[in-house]
Amino acid sequence: MDAAVESKPESRPLRIALVGVPNCGKTALFNRLTGSRQKVANYPGVTVERREGERATPDGRGLRVLDLPGTYSLNPTTLDEAITRDVLLGRLAGTPAPEVAVCVVDAVHLPIGLRLALEVKRLGVPMVLALNRMDVARRRGVEINIARLSAELGVPVVATVAVRRGGADGLVELLEAARWSTPRAAPAGADAAQMPDQVRALLAAAGYSPPRANPWFARIDALLLHPVAGLLILLAVLFVMFQAVFTWAEAPMDWIKGAMGSLGEYTAAHLPAGPLASLLVNGVIGGAGNVLVFLPQIIILFFFILALEDSGYLPRAAYLLDRLMGFVGLSGRAFIPLLSSHACAIPGIMATRTIPNWRDRLTTIMIAPLMTCSARLPVYLLLIGALIPARHFGPFNQQGLVMFGLYCAGILSAFAVALLLKQFGGARQYSPLMLELPDYQWPHAGNLLLGLWERVKIFLNRVGGIILALMIVLWFLSTYPAPPAGATGPAIQYSFAGQLGALLQHVFGPIGFNWQISIALVPGLAAREIAVGALGTVYSMSTAGDDLAAQLQPVIASSWSLATGCALLAWYVFAPQCLSTLAVVKRETNSWRYPLIMAAYLFALAYFAAFITYRVVGAMSPGGVEL
Amino acid sequence: MSIDRCLCNMNVDANANSSHLLWPSRNRILALVKSLPPPLDLDHSLIELAQLRRGDMAVVLGLVETAAIDAGRSSNESLVARLRDLGFVPGAHCEVIARMWPGGDPMAVRIGGSTFALRRAEAAAVQVRLARAGESQRSPLARPGTSAAAA
Repeated sequence: MDAAVESKPESRPLRIALVGVPNCGKTALFNRLTGSRQKVANYPGVTVERREGERATPDGRGLRVLDLPGTYSLNPTTLDEAITRDVLLGRLAGTPAPEVAVCVVDAVHLPIGLRLALEVKRLGVPMVLALNRMDVARRRGVEINIARLSAELGVPVVATVAVRRGGADGLVELLEAARWSTPRAAPAGADAAQMPDQVRALLAAAGYSPPRANPWFARIDALLLHPVAGLLILLAVLFVMFQAVFTWAEAPMDWIKGAMGSLGEYTAAHLPAGPLASLLVNGVIGGAGNVLVFLPQIIILFFFILALEDSGYLPRAAYLLDRLMGFVGLSGRAFIPLLSSHACAIPGIMATRTIPNWRDRLTTIMIAPLMTCSARLPVYLLLIGALIPARHFGPFNQQGLVMFGLYCAGILSAFAVALLLKQFGGARQYSPLMLELPDYQWPHAGNLLLGLWERVKIFLNRVGGIILALMIVLWFLSTYPAPPAGATGPAIQYSFAGQLGALLQHVFGPIGFNWQISIALVPGLAAREIAVGALGTVYSMSTAGDDLAAQLQPVIASSWSLATGCALLAWYVFAPQCLSTLAVVKRETNSWRYPLIMAAYLFALAYFAAFITYRVVGAMSPGGVEL
Repeated sequence: MSIDRCLCNMNVDANANSSHLLWPSRNRILALVKSLPPPLDLDHSLIELAQLRRGDMAVVLGLVETAAIDAGRSSNESLVARLRDLGFVPGAHCEVIARMWPGGDPMAVRIGGSTFALRRAEAAAVQVRLARAGESQRSPLARPGTSAAAA
């Protein structure tokens, strides 16, 4: 490279940026370079994920590595791709242009990567070409003369194997050894139409021979992409996944419940009774614990999602479902976010970033909260256990069927809403599918763990941030003012939350909710599952966790009509009251408009559904509607 | 197909050496050719990628802006540019490895060693001709991706 004459050794870390097409192993290389020293944030003002990490180098200078969003071209069609181009050009405020662009090219799929490398080169940013996945390429008979390729391209080329320990050492050495100058003037560029010829010339010069096709890939694809067999396999995969989420998570969820319970008891025992103890035990520990308990389910769900993604299956699922989802105006790409929303709408909404079209993305965000998230489960389990007799129809349990029906109701109503948005949303731009179906590969354990850790961090930050703050506010509302002397009802009835509940009963009366439910819905704003604990408080239960549900069920069974219970179930299918979801929608759309619309429409739907359910069930059941 | 090809070749010949009149019926054929839509359409071997069936192998001839997607709302240029980015360039070999039900939409196409899911409307923008059996691959970009030809 043009060795810049620099008088003193640099002490700042060298700023490098990884750029490459999707599925080239760029993120694996980023993980290999930086290990767990990564910071994930957003680019200012937009919701594109900014992943940056550091690596120490033997010379002590270090590398600061930026993982740019994958792109096929610097002629951007999505927000992610525009960010990549702007960062490389130094146009993005707050992010200086990288000193070196590391263009990551999958050696197995050299032509498509080389195309992008030529575009990057034309920008005039100093660059290195990292030929990634060289091990796989060699196994599949790819021949590349690296020295010739480097000479023809005019940039250093180095082979890397991102998934192997030490697989990026060559790249680090190269980055360290070269003295990188400031960006040169952009060389005279050829236009896009000549690009294929340039790529061909480069490939010919490098003596490139294409990979032998892996006959297994064709066989697996013939099965997994089959219109009937493929869909059946997808259903089976989803079934196993949800089974795992609910069965494997049971034990660790009990541990977390137990641990939080002991922590609460310990705190209560060692603090003088008073507002502080109440705040810590009920507000902080109880509140955070109620949400933390879902961590195992979220980890298991994401384990499946990351493993399926790494193996190359998820884009194929999007392919299988594209047409079906097209009927309601969604892209197949919406499948992954909606799948994640079954654990929690928050990671689901964050996953919509991969949808290039803004309208498609907005529709997906808007319907994500209709997927039955794990926070609704405690409420469903409580009510179904209390109200639905455990009768058997053949192999099916009536309670299980109701649960299944509630899941379906969520999905079907999501599709109905999407269809409405499609019909009345005005003219929309066609957004292409053009999804790469990458080669199959075994998921890499290290990358999987890093990905899981990242999700866990995001979730814990949420618990530590907004949820904790809301829990404290709600604790305050349901504790103060204290009941007057000689009060007979539960304390919460006299608090702000109780007064609010009494007011809300005017609203919720017509759909069959009594004042106890109305009060419980208020703390349920922070997280839906908290409504269960709040019901316990209202009915003056002193225990928590599973015992609480066991004690509550007979009370509910005896004091609520079937119509009221069913109306509450219907309400929870739509359940607008999850403030953290609304907060994420605000962040992802950069506007208050969409979270407000979302809250309004979900509230309207929930109210309408509960109203209909209450009337219909009331008319059918012998007790009738009591008002 | 071979007749069409022959007509086309003659059309080209006629433009190049119009002074040679070796074959009496040629003028009539030329008239017929001119009365039809442009010669490219006459060549039945030029079809849209969207019309191929599963297992078909083809060679990309070019990219066109399609009316299917357009309807005045989309930027076709970016669609065509993106297809080019993915490797749908003239001379590239591709193979349809799967078509979804119903209507064969979307379809999975293997090109340049990678596989892409395309909707019909997107595949309609790619003009191809069916590859002849055992057609050699001259360019490194042009390589069928499956076992049949490559193994």
